[in-house]
Amino acid sequence: MPAVVAVFALIAWPMYLIVSISFREGKSLNFAALGQRPFGLGNYASVLTDSATWHSAWVSFAYTFGTIAPAFVIGLGTALLLNRVFPWRRWLRSLMLLPWAMPGVMVSIVFLWLFDASFGVVNYALRSLGLITADVAWYTNESTALIAVIVPTIWKAYPFFTLTLLAALQSIPANLYEAADVDGASAWQRFTNITWPGIRGPAVLALILNGLWTFREFDIIFAATGGGPAKATETLGIRAYNEAFGYFYMGRAAAIGVLMLTIALAFVLVARRELRKEFF
Amino acid sequence: MIWKRWLTVLLWLVVASTVGAQPTTIELDFPTWQAEEPGAGEYWTELIKDFEAKNPGVKVKKTQVPFREYADKMTVRFAANNPPDIVHLPSRNFLAFASQGWLAPLDEYLAQTDVKATYTRMNDEMIYNGKYHGVLLMAYGMMFYYNEKMLQDAKLAVPKTTDELLKAIAATTDANAGRFGWAAPTTEHPNLVVEIGTWVTGERANLFKGNQYNFTDPAVIKAVDKFRAAIKNAPKGVSSEQARQLFVDGKVAMLRDGPWVAAALKKAPDATRPYLKMGMMPFATIPGGTSNSLHMPAKLDAEKRKYVWEFIKLTTTPEWQAKYTLLSASPAPRRNALPAAELAQRPDLALINKSAAEAVNLFPENVAVRENYNEYAKLFSEAGIKLITSERGTIDVMRDLQAELIKRIPLQ
Repeated sequence: MPAVVAVFALIAWPMYLIVSISFREGKSLNFAALGQRPFGLGNYASVLTDSATWHSAWVSFAYTFGTIAPAFVIGLGTALLLNRVFPWRRWLRSLMLLPWAMPGVMVSIVFLWLFDASFGVVNYALRSLGLITADVAWYTNESTALIAVIVPTIWKAYPFFTLTLLAALQSIPANLYEAADVDGASAWQRFTNITWPGIRGPAVLALILNGLWTFREFDIIFAATGGGPAKATETLGIRAYNEAFGYFYMGRAAAIGVLMLTIALAFVLVARRELRKEFF
Repeated sequence: MIWKRWLTVLLWLVVASTVGAQPTTIELDFPTWQAEEPGAGEYWTELIKDFEAKNPGVKVKKTQVPFREYADKMTVRFAANNPPDIVHLPSRNFLAFASQGWLAPLDEYLAQTDVKATYTRMNDEMIYNGKYHGVLLMAYGMMFYYNEKMLQDAKLAVPKTTDELLKAIAATTDANAGRFGWAAPTTEHPNLVVEIGTWVTGERANLFKGNQYNFTDPAVIKAVDKFRAAIKNAPKGVSSEQARQLFVDGKVAMLRDGPWVAAALKKAPDATRPYLKMGMMPFATIPGGTSNSLHMPAKLDAEKRKYVWEFIKLTTTPEWQAKYTLLSASPAPRRNALPAAELAQRPDLALINKSAAEAVNLFPENVAVRENYNEYAKLFSEAGIKLITSERGTIDVMRDLQAELIKRIPLQ
């Protein structure tokens, strides 16, 4: 019974509210009066036929995959390094996890300075290396803004992979590697035949969780660009915020929220087969 | 028995602290984007000090919120039923808040003052549904700021027309040396709309024609092309606050901004301060408009309501209208706020008043646009970024913007 109450209060009721608001048409931020707005499918019709929505969906996918793929590679690399025995290993492990604990807004502020067009370290380094001749306005240029928000998100996302994969690596029996050494296996063969099968389950789970978190990421993008310039970094989450608190269309914002929920559910359904294979 | 003694002492302490306690303090929450602005920030500090002295037991908690996110933050607070006690708004956003029923009508309060009789008609912009929902703090004309030394080094006179201005901007720019002829918001910022609007109004073009958008009008396109020519020689990725700072630091030759920047010039480094000057805009028309205003939230308890009004009323008194002009170096809405004798000794304030008197409103007057100003400004600044960072034709960008505006904000 307590579980039913908890699920109803924490999940079902807020979900019902979002779905219910998504059917209320017109412009209002007055929550008490939202129930008096006309009921219909108008918000879904306008959201689904608006090219800006599909642009935001594309930005969300590009942002998610642009973050998760490199973050996974970095996370795997650091996990393999930290799994080795060397002095100060414990300290380094704690240090490596710090970005994960940083609030998104703080991460944005740090990277806004690093990528500053006139005084940023990134432009200075690229100029020194001769890779650019003029300063790049990373956050205000349509073609570079998405990269500029993906980089801090990778920095914040990779430690979760490190943590999960390191835990999985430590559960692989050492005698498997000893046997492989005796058989004369190469490093690549050891990785593909022992390491990867040993960490595949947690890796899939970490990819799904981190993927969903990145898909609904808000604070890093909002603090850095607010979705601009010219919608270049406007993910669905940022678009929902703008519709609600920028333009006062709460119904349209809720409809975008329902769309995001549907995409996330579809993603989990696709990954279900892999999850079942690994865990159930 | 010792514990009984301790308990007695403790009880006495509690009773003594309760009896001796000060009367409960009422705290009025007052977020503003001007708390740290030179000039305006000093005005608010002085005003609050006077208000607190006149109203013992009432404290005003002033907090700084960056302008770029100000309207959004206030929207979230009102939507969450947690509005500030003293509401300070950019006037261009006023109607969007009033139309949500978030602001209290002030006619009953204003009837006890001389505001309606002594303020300029700009204060009528605070009317929504036939009632005043705020009190204006300032209406202004744009000012032209220039670095005299940078112009002299380029052997140029102070520009008097937009063509001269564009030539001077190009001649004083050396991007590799970190020197720019012009500075303006070049990031997605509410003031990017003001910058483009200034060029359009200044060139006597109009973004609206009756109840229709007029963004593709040849005169508008010509004015926007001039904006693009100027912005090519401006540092990229800066907000209006950064643009001001670059001018004050002597890295920018010329700047368009409100009269409030005059107060910031006094804080310029010694090496540049003597060369930073203020003049009239070298445009055919002086663009301007209402700037900011004070309001009372519709939902506020009776006691706080009384003190919020006392605070607003204090700003309308002749004494504080004069101090507003002097401290913020901006024109107050009360006619002749500064006595003529005092004005004669301050040529800078006389110039600011002249600009305000000649100014033509650059902000949209259409009710539908005013009620949806946030959305209008967002779509406009997105187009503005395309004008700054892409090579797309001006007519194409403005046509797309107009089509989007017709779809999102149909005019009434």
